[in-house]
Amino acid sequence: MIQVTNLVKDYTLAAQVYRVLNGISFTIPQGMLSAIIGPSGSGKTTLLNILGGLDSPSAGQYLLNGRDVSHFGPDEWAHERNHTIGFVFQSFQLIPALSARDNVALPLVYRGIPQRLRRIRADEELEKVGLGHRIHHRPQQLSGGQQQRVAIARALVANPPVILADEPTGNLDHATGLEILEILRQLSQAGKTVVIVTHSQEVAQVCRQVIEIQDGHIVTNTMEMEHSL
Amino acid sequence: MTWKDGFILAFHGMISNKLRAILTMLGVIIGVAAVIVLVAIGQGASSMVTSRIETLGTNVIFVSPAAGTPFPVSETNIVAHALPFSLQVVPSMNTGSKVSTLTTQGSAQIAGTTPSYLRLGGISLAAGHFITPEEVSASQHVAVLGANQVSNLFGAQNPVGSSIMIMGQKFQVVGALNAVGQGPGASQDNEIFIPITAAQTLFRTTQLSQMIVKTSNPNQANLTADYLTNLYTNEFGSSTAVSVASEDQVLLTLQATRATFTNLLAGTAAIALLVGGIGIMNIMLVSVTERTREIGIRRALGATREDVLLQFLFESMTMSLSGGLIGVIAGLGIMHLVPLILKTPAVFSPAALILAFVFSTAVGLIFGLYPAIKASGLDPIHALRYDG
Repeated sequence: MIQVTNLVKDYTLAAQVYRVLNGISFTIPQGMLSAIIGPSGSGKTTLLNILGGLDSPSAGQYLLNGRDVSHFGPDEWAHERNHTIGFVFQSFQLIPALSARDNVALPLVYRGIPQRLRRIRADEELEKVGLGHRIHHRPQQLSGGQQQRVAIARALVANPPVILADEPTGNLDHATGLEILEILRQLSQAGKTVVIVTHSQEVAQVCRQVIEIQDGHIVTNTMEMEHSL
Repeated sequence: MTWKDGFILAFHGMISNKLRAILTMLGVIIGVAAVIVLVAIGQGASSMVTSRIETLGTNVIFVSPAAGTPFPVSETNIVAHALPFSLQVVPSMNTGSKVSTLTTQGSAQIAGTTPSYLRLGGISLAAGHFITPEEVSASQHVAVLGANQVSNLFGAQNPVGSSIMIMGQKFQVVGALNAVGQGPGASQDNEIFIPITAAQTLFRTTQLSQMIVKTSNPNQANLTADYLTNLYTNEFGSSTAVSVASEDQVLLTLQATRATFTNLLAGTAAIALLVGGIGIMNIMLVSVTERTREIGIRRALGATREDVLLQFLFESMTMSLSGGLIGVIAGLGIMHLVPLILKTPAVFSPAALILAFVFSTAVGLIFGLYPAIKASGLDPIHALRYDG
C-alpha cells in the first residue's frame, strides 16, 4: 500500500524556487491497478520518482506498506527499491551489453544471490512473459514489445509487492501497448500494487484507480470499489 | 554485490570491449615488463662486475693521480722497492684514439704498459704473445688487441702479424686477448696494449694514468694501501692528489654505482607504470560517462552507491591486474632474450617481479578510485535520463 500526505516538491533553479508538487495526498491500496494521469509538466513523473525513492520530497509524509520512508537516505532507498519496488520505464532502460537473461537477473545481483540461482529465476520470469526462447538475445536484437517484456520480467524477478511503471506503452505500437497493459493488469490481480504514470486516457481507462494531476495538484482521484477477481 | 560478482561483471565488461581493454592495459603491460627487464639488466651488469673483480683477487691496489698531479713513469720503480716484501707494480698510460687498418677503422683505448700487466690476472691470450720485456726495452711498435678490437678491425681473421695505425704510427699486432666482459673501469676488450716506452713517445709524455700494485699475499694489501696513501699525502701535501684504492673499495664504489644504475632503471620503469595508471583513469572516466545510463538503471534496481563504486573499482583493478599479469609474462620472455640480443647478462629479480605486480595493482586501485567515486555520486534520475 502507498499512502502520501501533503507531499511537496520544490526545485530551485537560478535562485528561483519552483513548486512542482503542492500538497499531494492519496492512498493506493495493495493490489490496486492505479494510473497517475496528467499533461506534461504536471508533476506526475516527479511524483513517480518520489514514490520510487529516486527523488526525495521537500515536505510531507510517505508511507510505503505502512512504514514511513519520507526521510530515507539514498542507500536505504536502494535497499527498499531492491526489495519492495519493481520499475518499468518508457524507454525500457535495459543494459545493451547484457543478454535478456542477465538484464532480468540484475536486481538479484544486489541481493547477493548466487549466479546459478539468479539465472534460474531470470529464466522463469522470461518464460512467464513469453520470452523463454530469447534468453540469450541482447536488447538490440529484440523488438520494442519484447524489450518491454524483458523489463517487466526484470521488475518481477525479485518478487516486489509494488510495480511503478512510467509511460510503459509510450514507445510501443497500439496492439503491443495493449498486451503490456494486460500483463500489468494481471499482476495487480495477482495482488501487486501497480502504479502507471501516463498521459494517455486509454491507458487510464484500464485502471481501477485514476489520480489526475495538474500543476502539482490533484484534480480528481476516482476508484472503482468492486473487485474483479 | 559480492566480490565474485564484482570480478565477473568487470571481466565481462573487459571481454565485451577487447580492443579498448588491451589499449588501456598497454601502459601497465609496458610498465611491468620494463621493471622486470630493466632491473634484470641492472642486476646482470652488477653481478658481472663482481665476478670479474673476484677473478682478479682482493690483493690489487689502484693508484691514480688527480689531474695536474705530476706522476711520472719513474714512480713505478720507487714503489716497487719501497716495502720490505715483493710487489708487482704495473704502470699504465691510457688515452682514447682512432685506430685503423688498410680497410677498417674504429676507436680504442690505448694502454701503454709492461709485461707484468698479464700477471695481474683476469686476461688471457687467444693468439700470439703479450708485450715482452725486450719489446719494452727496444720501444718497439707492437700491439696486443682486446677481443672487441680484434672483431672490429679484423672480423673473424687472426690479426697476429697484421699492421694497424695508431695516432699516425704503424704498429704490428703480436697478440690477441680472449674476451673478458665488463670489468672495473674500461673493459680490456676495448683496449689495445702497447709497450709503455712506445706509449711515452706516442703520447709525448711520461705522465702515468694509473699504477696497479699487486701484493703476493692478500694480507699485505691493506698495509701497502696505507703506506702508499701516507707516502703521497706527505709528498703532495694533500690526500686527494693521488687516489689509492684497494680492490675492496673499488668493488664497493662499483656496487654503489650499479645500485644507483639499477634504481634509475627501476625508477624509469615506475614512471611508465604511473603513466599506465593515468591511461586507465582516462578510460575509466570515459567509461563512466558512456555508461551513465547504465549506472542509473543499476541504482534504480537496487544498487547502492557502494555497489557502483565497487563495480568501477573492480573494473579498473581487473584491467591493471590483467595488464600486470601479461606484463610479467612479457617481461620474463624479454628478459630471456636480452642475453641473446644485447650480449649482456640479465639476472631475474623476484623482488622486482613482486614489486611490479603489487605496484600495478595499486595503480589500478588508486587511479580507478576517482572515476569510481564519480560514478557512485551520480544522481540516479539524471543518470536515467542521460542521452549519451
